[in-house]
Amino acid sequence: MSRLLRAPSREVQRGLIGGLMLLGGWEAATRLFKLPAYVLPPVSGIVEAIVERRAALLAAAGYTASEALIGYAIGCAVGIGLAMLLALFPRPRRAFVSMATAVNSIPVVGYAPLLLLWFGTGIASKIAAVAFAVSFVVFISTLSGLDRVDKRAVDLMRSFGAGKVSILWRLQLPTALPLIAAGMRVSTVRSIIIAIVVEMLGAYGGLGWVIYQAVMQIDFVQVWAAIFVASAISLLFFNLIGLAEWKLVFWR
Amino acid sequence: MLQREGLSGTDSNPTTPILELRNVNKTFGSVTALRDFHASVALGEFVTVVGPSGCGKSTLFNMVAGLEEPDVGGILRFEQRSVHASDLLGRVSFMPQRDLLFSWRTVIDNAILALEVEGVPRKAARAEALRLLPEFGLAGFADHYPHQLSGGMRQRVALMRTFLFKRELMLLDEPFGALDALTRAMMQRWLLDVWQKNRRTILFITHDVDEAIFLGDRVVVMTARPGAVKLEQRVDLPRPRSPDIVTSPAFIEIKRTLLAAIEEESMKSFTAATSTEYAQ
Repeated sequence: MSRLLRAPSREVQRGLIGGLMLLGGWEAATRLFKLPAYVLPPVSGIVEAIVERRAALLAAAGYTASEALIGYAIGCAVGIGLAMLLALFPRPRRAFVSMATAVNSIPVVGYAPLLLLWFGTGIASKIAAVAFAVSFVVFISTLSGLDRVDKRAVDLMRSFGAGKVSILWRLQLPTALPLIAAGMRVSTVRSIIIAIVVEMLGAYGGLGWVIYQAVMQIDFVQVWAAIFVASAISLLFFNLIGLAEWKLVFWR
Repeated sequence: MLQREGLSGTDSNPTTPILELRNVNKTFGSVTALRDFHASVALGEFVTVVGPSGCGKSTLFNMVAGLEEPDVGGILRFEQRSVHASDLLGRVSFMPQRDLLFSWRTVIDNAILALEVEGVPRKAARAEALRLLPEFGLAGFADHYPHQLSGGMRQRVALMRTFLFKRELMLLDEPFGALDALTRAMMQRWLLDVWQKNRRTILFITHDVDEAIFLGDRVVVMTARPGAVKLEQRVDLPRPRSPDIVTSPAFIEIKRTLLAAIEEESMKSFTAATSTEYAQ
């Protein structure tokens, strides 16, 4: 905990300074060149809009975040579970991995209309899309993490009379943990993006829906406000999982 | 009276074999790792194995640990019974060359790994390991992680893990190979001490002839690949052995015999060497 309260590291400081400079340059450019709001509104205008419409934006953010979170949790469980099953019963592994890779290479936008058809316009279709994408990433990273196990360590466990399940639980999963956590961290941002994209194709609420509506009404400040909020929750989610990873994979 | 002494003398050189290998061959594709290998280890005996690099010592160990089957026709006997190598899984305590400690486990939890696999409740296993810590020079380090330990300490944790897997036969594969000379000498004396207290059967692989003589009741010299027994040498030096025994005439005499045998084999394997044979 003490490390959390300490002054931010140099990297964090640099990141913050870089971000502030970007926003400053943006603000200056819009004022200097008198850009119209539909091309690029000033940062101050966007922030103002966020404060003004905070209730609606917060509700939309909550909507999107819950879709993303539920989908993310399901996706992680499915991905890790499947990889563990394949570690125990490796026979169908090759067929399964190439099938999953093929299906995963279809862009979300391609199959999203089908998801809307099957799961409806509500949150279920978004959860399904997120869960699907996340499960693939987590599945692949867990699988390669489980493969990284030292054969000599497996032999040691076997010499103790350990069975497959015991080896998986006591040796392979901990060995895979750094890669599982990395896959889970990368998936955070992906889960928010996918929830928003599918919302834009059809939804009853959420940031994607807000963006879609705002575009229709040519309200570009609103579009930007929603984008800002979306990137804020993405960053928050990413860093929370990063923090958990740092706590969990302490031995690296 | 004299006869009695003679009898008790044979008692301290027990002849009941716990492990026997007869006609054991092992080939990997076109490579013959072991050919017509014969050996036997008596209950309570400390046998050391030396030989040139790549002579099949590790193959021998993997077989006795139950990890690899000998080729068809080889006979493996354990505790007076014919067995398949795989029957030995879980019955021999095996310590591989590298310490292979689990970096996510503390010292104490690494030590109880085998007990945990056997189903001993964690609490009981930890209590047992805690009592052993001082004997292994690890007092106060129970909650440290492997990356916080020196090489010698890591090796002692690995040895403790092997010891806690209480099996009559222990296989130690160059356990001190990676340590510096000083630590190594300390660890050897310490191992003898622990062995004398617990009196288990030990089969110990090493590259180091001094180590083989200093520790063993008997030294087995292996030939260059394909591995077979080149020479078996009894070491009748009194126990407990003090470090200066290595300069005694009896020790040097044994060493001379062994070195001559090893030299011959090393030359063979050197002249026959292909680049692959250098890879351990």
